[in-house]
Amino acid sequence: MAAQTIVQTVARTLAEEMARDERVVLLGEDVGKRGGVFLATEGLFDRFGPDRVIDTPLSEAAIIGAAIGMAVHGMRPVAEIQFADYVFPGFDQLVSQAAKLRYRSGGGFSAPMVVRMPAGGGVAGGHHHSQNPESHFVHTPGLQVVYPSTPGDTRGLLRSAVRGDDPVVFMEPKRLYRAVKEELPDDDATIPIGRARLRREGDDVVLISYGASMAETLKAADALAAQGVSADVIDLRSLLPWDQDLVLERVARVGRVVVISEAPRTLSFASEVAATIAEEALDLLEAPPARVTGFDVPYPYAQDRAYLPGPDRILRAVQRVLDY
Amino acid sequence: MIGNVRRFEPFGQAPIRVIDDDGRWVAPFACDLDEARLRAIYRDMRRARRFDERLSTLQRQGKVSFVASAAGHEATQVGAAHALDAGRDWTFPYYRDLALALALGWPLAEALAQQMASRIDPARGRQMPAHPGSAALRIFTTASAIASHVPPAVGSAMAQKLAGRGDVTLCSFGDGATSEGDWHAALNLAGAQGAPAVFLCQNNGYAISVAFRHQSGSADVATKAHAYGMPGYRVDGMDPLAAYYVTRQAVEHAREGLGPALIEALVYRYGPHSNADDDGRYRPADEVAAWRRRDPIARYRRYLEGRGLWDDAAEAALAAEVKAEIDDAVRANEAAGRAPLGWMFDDVFADLPPHLRRQRDELAAAHELERDGH
Ligand SMILES: Cc1ncc(C[n+]2csc(CCOP(=O)(O)OP(=O)(O)O)c2C)c(N)n1
Ligand SMILES: [Mg+2]
Repeated sequence: MAAQTIVQTVARTLAEEMARDERVVLLGEDVGKRGGVFLATEGLFDRFGPDRVIDTPLSEAAIIGAAIGMAVHGMRPVAEIQFADYVFPGFDQLVSQAAKLRYRSGGGFSAPMVVRMPAGGGVAGGHHHSQNPESHFVHTPGLQVVYPSTPGDTRGLLRSAVRGDDPVVFMEPKRLYRAVKEELPDDDATIPIGRARLRREGDDVVLISYGASMAETLKAADALAAQGVSADVIDLRSLLPWDQDLVLERVARVGRVVVISEAPRTLSFASEVAATIAEEALDLLEAPPARVTGFDVPYPYAQDRAYLPGPDRILRAVQRVLDY
Repeated sequence: MIGNVRRFEPFGQAPIRVIDDDGRWVAPFACDLDEARLRAIYRDMRRARRFDERLSTLQRQGKVSFVASAAGHEATQVGAAHALDAGRDWTFPYYRDLALALALGWPLAEALAQQMASRIDPARGRQMPAHPGSAALRIFTTASAIASHVPPAVGSAMAQKLAGRGDVTLCSFGDGATSEGDWHAALNLAGAQGAPAVFLCQNNGYAISVAFRHQSGSADVATKAHAYGMPGYRVDGMDPLAAYYVTRQAVEHAREGLGPALIEALVYRYGPHSNADDDGRYRPADEVAAWRRRDPIARYRRYLEGRGLWDDAAEAALAAEVKAEIDDAVRANEAAGRAPLGWMFDDVFADLPPHLRRQRDELAAAHELERDGH
């Protein structure tokens, strides 16, 4: 199997899951004949037909709500929201129904389903095609949230999401859809939701990120290496639950940490990670945890790139943490 | 009312036409528009088409990042614009409404500034291209989120009703928008309130790749008006005079306090959904070709020529005038340059709060920022 991009991996993994389990169905806008506007479902309509690859009317409430109803029947729906920015008409279904279904019925009902959505900026899309709404989901008890950044992690986590028993918000870094390629082994391995991955080992500073920002984080780590600073790099991959054990273990080793996320700073997931580190490991820190995030403005169009926490801003934060 | 009678009955089977495909008048009433207005309708369609073509060129040159062409929708957009009192009435457009906004008086250089996010864009480069809006002209700033503007449009109409001046709100959207919950909530509210709103659905048969028969179990959009207690009109959207007269009737009714209306204009988008789309994946080329043969600009020109109001000389003069106007706009926007970095933090709130001031300083540490917030 040739090296694959993230978006190709999504299509391939969905095909494998649909072949493995006939309860898996796809629904969303343009997922059928068009193969999705990003081609994340390319070829699936031809292979599995209109009963299992459903082109829905333009309603995110209907898409997510119908996925819940199908899930209650024991099906395994995978809903696509065309852009994460467009989840909000369906937000009520996620928050009021999907997230609370198991709890409010004392386990009598549940919604094993996946809601996929491309997220993130750097694509000249402005405020309605660039957002990172993960905090909304993480802040809603009952939803699992993942945000991988490589083809391999996408495959392993998507398998877990489809096979798991709870609703999963599956965020995909659209800026990286075609930017990273990976040769994937012919296996059926899953990656448990909640487990982070160490992408680099280093001794001077721990860089923690996830999703599209992993690309900038790794670039910053390269630049640091060139300056003789060795960085530990953690890719969280899962945001809820998240891997506090790995994070605290690495931070305890190094004592200096920078958390990177392109979502707006206030109440960003980076804030949660930084707060947890401060609470659990303050006495092991050599410097206060630093955050490098998007700004607290609607995602700007004309300043698309400057908004992103790029390597330059990450390096400045690392310098602050090292100089402390 | 047009000649004091209701010209058009709602919920008819055949789409309403005023001129036929050959440009012959087929309506059961006489034209009451003066020659200047008739020519202006032609000019607005032609100008919008040319501008649209130039935008595609600019997109290919990397000067504009995105294009959602209005080609094929001009008759409906221009006809509807001429039925409004521009500057008095309010318009809530969607992203494909460039011809509508231009016909309402949005200056072309400003429209281009929006596409290029240039420094002379009154909206300060905040929107991706294809997002019309003008506070000065009461054109509500476009939101990419489909149908999210429909409830606010109803609120606008409710405010107009309370003000009692007979102003109306026109709200425009595609066929796909009619599936969103917000759309239904808004039309229901408008019906319940008798709000002076005119809902204009530009049904081009597709929402990106999804054909209308998958969008709805209804045979058409106009029918949906029935459930919300308002008239629904199906209009041949390739006929600018049909779009004009039906919108005019709906506007006049709304002004008189007779409540909202829904107009479904049958149009076609000639190009892909946007420059990022590949329409060959979901619609046959001969379908596109068949609709292109019904081009509204050519059809309306035949009508004008039949009345001796247009000829090759007029066409050549208009082409030259529009080309010069567009060339000037391109030059002005290129000279102005792009919206600067420092504008990122303005207009989140009326005043810059302390945390944004700190974040602005943080960005300034990395970039030379202009201190010219307004
Ligand atoms: C809430 C929301 N969901 C999805 C999208 C993505 N999207 C952009 S345009 C479009 C299709 C709209 O079709 P229609 O309303 O018929 O307008 P047309 O483009 O055909 O003029 C979709 C699904 C969006 N912009 N907003
Ligand atoms: Mg449409």
